[in-house]
Amino acid sequence: MRTKSLLCLAAVLAVCLTLVSGGMTQARAGEPYNLGAALAITGTGALYCQDGVDAIKLAVEEINAKGGFLGQHPIKLYIRDTHTKPDSAVRATRDLILRDKVRTVLGTYSSACAVAIKPVCLEYKVLHIPAISNSEGITLTNFSPYTYQVVPNSYMQAKAVVLGVAALAKKKGWKTFATIASDYEWGRSTQQNTVALLKQLAPDLKLIKEFWPPLGETQFTSYITAIMAQKPDFVIGSIASKDNVAWMKQAKAYGFFKKIPYPGSLISVTELILQAKTLDRGLVGLCRAPFFAHMDVPMMANFVKAFKKKYNRYPSDWAVMEYDAVYGLKQGIEKAKSIDSAKVKDALKGATIDTTRGKLYFRDIDNQLSCSSYLGVVADDPQYPFPIYHDLVEVKGPDSWRPEKEIIAARAAEKKK
Amino acid sequence: MDLSLLFAQALSGLSRGMMLFLIASGLSLIFGVMNILNFAHATLWLVGAYACYTFWFLLQTHDFAVWLAIPLAALSVGLVGWVIEVVLIRRVYDRELPEQLLLTYALVLILGDLIKITWGVDDKLIARPAMLSEPVYIAGVPIDSYFIFVIAVGFAVYLALWWFLQKTRYGHIVRAAVFSREMVSALGIPIPIIYTGVFVLGIFIAGLAGAIQGPVGSVTLGMDMAVVIQAFCVVIIGGFGSLPGTMVSSIIVGEVYAFSILFWPGGALALIFILTAIVLIVRPWGLFGTPLRA
Repeated sequence: MRTKSLLCLAAVLAVCLTLVSGGMTQARAGEPYNLGAALAITGTGALYCQDGVDAIKLAVEEINAKGGFLGQHPIKLYIRDTHTKPDSAVRATRDLILRDKVRTVLGTYSSACAVAIKPVCLEYKVLHIPAISNSEGITLTNFSPYTYQVVPNSYMQAKAVVLGVAALAKKKGWKTFATIASDYEWGRSTQQNTVALLKQLAPDLKLIKEFWPPLGETQFTSYITAIMAQKPDFVIGSIASKDNVAWMKQAKAYGFFKKIPYPGSLISVTELILQAKTLDRGLVGLCRAPFFAHMDVPMMANFVKAFKKKYNRYPSDWAVMEYDAVYGLKQGIEKAKSIDSAKVKDALKGATIDTTRGKLYFRDIDNQLSCSSYLGVVADDPQYPFPIYHDLVEVKGPDSWRPEKEIIAARAAEKKK
Repeated sequence: MDLSLLFAQALSGLSRGMMLFLIASGLSLIFGVMNILNFAHATLWLVGAYACYTFWFLLQTHDFAVWLAIPLAALSVGLVGWVIEVVLIRRVYDRELPEQLLLTYALVLILGDLIKITWGVDDKLIARPAMLSEPVYIAGVPIDSYFIFVIAVGFAVYLALWWFLQKTRYGHIVRAAVFSREMVSALGIPIPIIYTGVFVLGIFIAGLAGAIQGPVGSVTLGMDMAVVIQAFCVVIIGGFGSLPGTMVSSIIVGEVYAFSILFWPGGALALIFILTAIVLIVRPWGLFGTPLRA
């Protein structure tokens, strides 16, 4: 009798537990979807992130106008400042997850921040969609099935540059080069990938010096004169955001770009707009998601129109990618027919999504979106009040991303460690 | 290596040094005279850069916009310095160093938020004056003309401070206060007025340095943190309160940085900190400071 009672009690408890746990994962209709953004509102990355935040807000407004995700989960947006520092990014992410109960974290600016928050998101089974930071390390090793990358990673960007530079070097007879890259995760990984790929594609080219200005450097004069002293045939740069503005401004004032070719440096739409008057025409630049490359895609045309109407300016690469991140999440949720992060994660695996940059898909092995990198010549255009890229070369994701066998090898090596 | 290129590197080191001198001279002066370690000094330098942006923005249709924006920004920051001294700093003259540091660090956070509220979070760009946007050639070597201006201002500020401290009665009083404020006070000279004057002067120079920094790159939050440590290194190496010390150590730090970039790019910052550590161990009062204040 006593055994029977205990069994009944256990059964009741089991049913209760099932109901409670079911209630926790099963979202009710009308329940808001808490969406987090961990971005650099202040600090080095603020220049790019402000546009990203504005684009996220626009996407959220559009989706909420139709009832939210699945038409029944209005999005509540929580934005936290990472201060472009990994420790601060981890704190912000934990706050977003534990206090604000977000189901997805968008961000970040700094790749070091993205790498730092990846395990936090994995621990709490929260989706993580980096849309600005692009170190390959985010998806290459320590793989997290909850992390989806919607920006061309540092390897893809490096490969795109290398393809262009190798062709130019052959044409112009260049033999030596130097590099200048910001001394942090993204700068280091981009520079290393570029150099390694150049060695493969143009083995005759010789790297004569590497320069590593610290992140946040305000005065590049000593770097400029030191590079000029080395007399390289060309220079490859990996400097971003406000550091890039300072670098470009000062290098121009030295007449640097007239003396030494500087192909393939990051000149995003932000720089094209901000330095409209001063940027040297004819520079060969690299960017990640220029809106003007895809004005034929209806989603992009509509986005540019809405962004311009709301903010009275054109969207940068960072705005485009954060906007795509929100809509990518929306499509994942629709495919999963649920806002449960574990189900959305599974639905996004290998999924093809509509983006402002056209139809793109997430690669199975690393959740990297098959997005393109763009190289072009800075030139004036009567359609815009700032220069854009002419002779635009779009290097497709599948042509530039790291081969799968190398990813498998990198992960095997990681396991051995 | 080509001598002209070494010359170019030396000039770039000098320009870096002068920028550091402009920031560190006020810091050194304030600590030397008032014994106040103002951690917010670099943040006030940043306020100078933002103020320069505002004045430049208002005047940008005129050719002289930057030339007028720089002194106006420096004066505005001097005024902010006066308010800070009267409201906060004078209340902690007799407190221990950690308490002063806490107060001035709180100021860093408060000013950072006020900047955010006033100017927003997006970066500000100030166009350089047209006459300083092209390189000048010295011995065939291209030099950024704006940094020639920076070097000139650095030396001008040094000479003006030297003249003030060495040749004026008020300067003599300030120098005397560095060594014995009690003696100065005993002579019937009102120390609080001296302190206010010195603090405002130090912050005015910080504002001037910030305003000059404005057109170099973009003006953005967090810039102050990148320079504050180097400014402290300059003051430690030169000796707190020593004007020639600050000038010489600024040039040393600028040149060490510039030449290590040429020969050991990865170790530029490390060398400066090693140098600072050596000075702290061997000569804690700095190269030009006096043991009296150590």
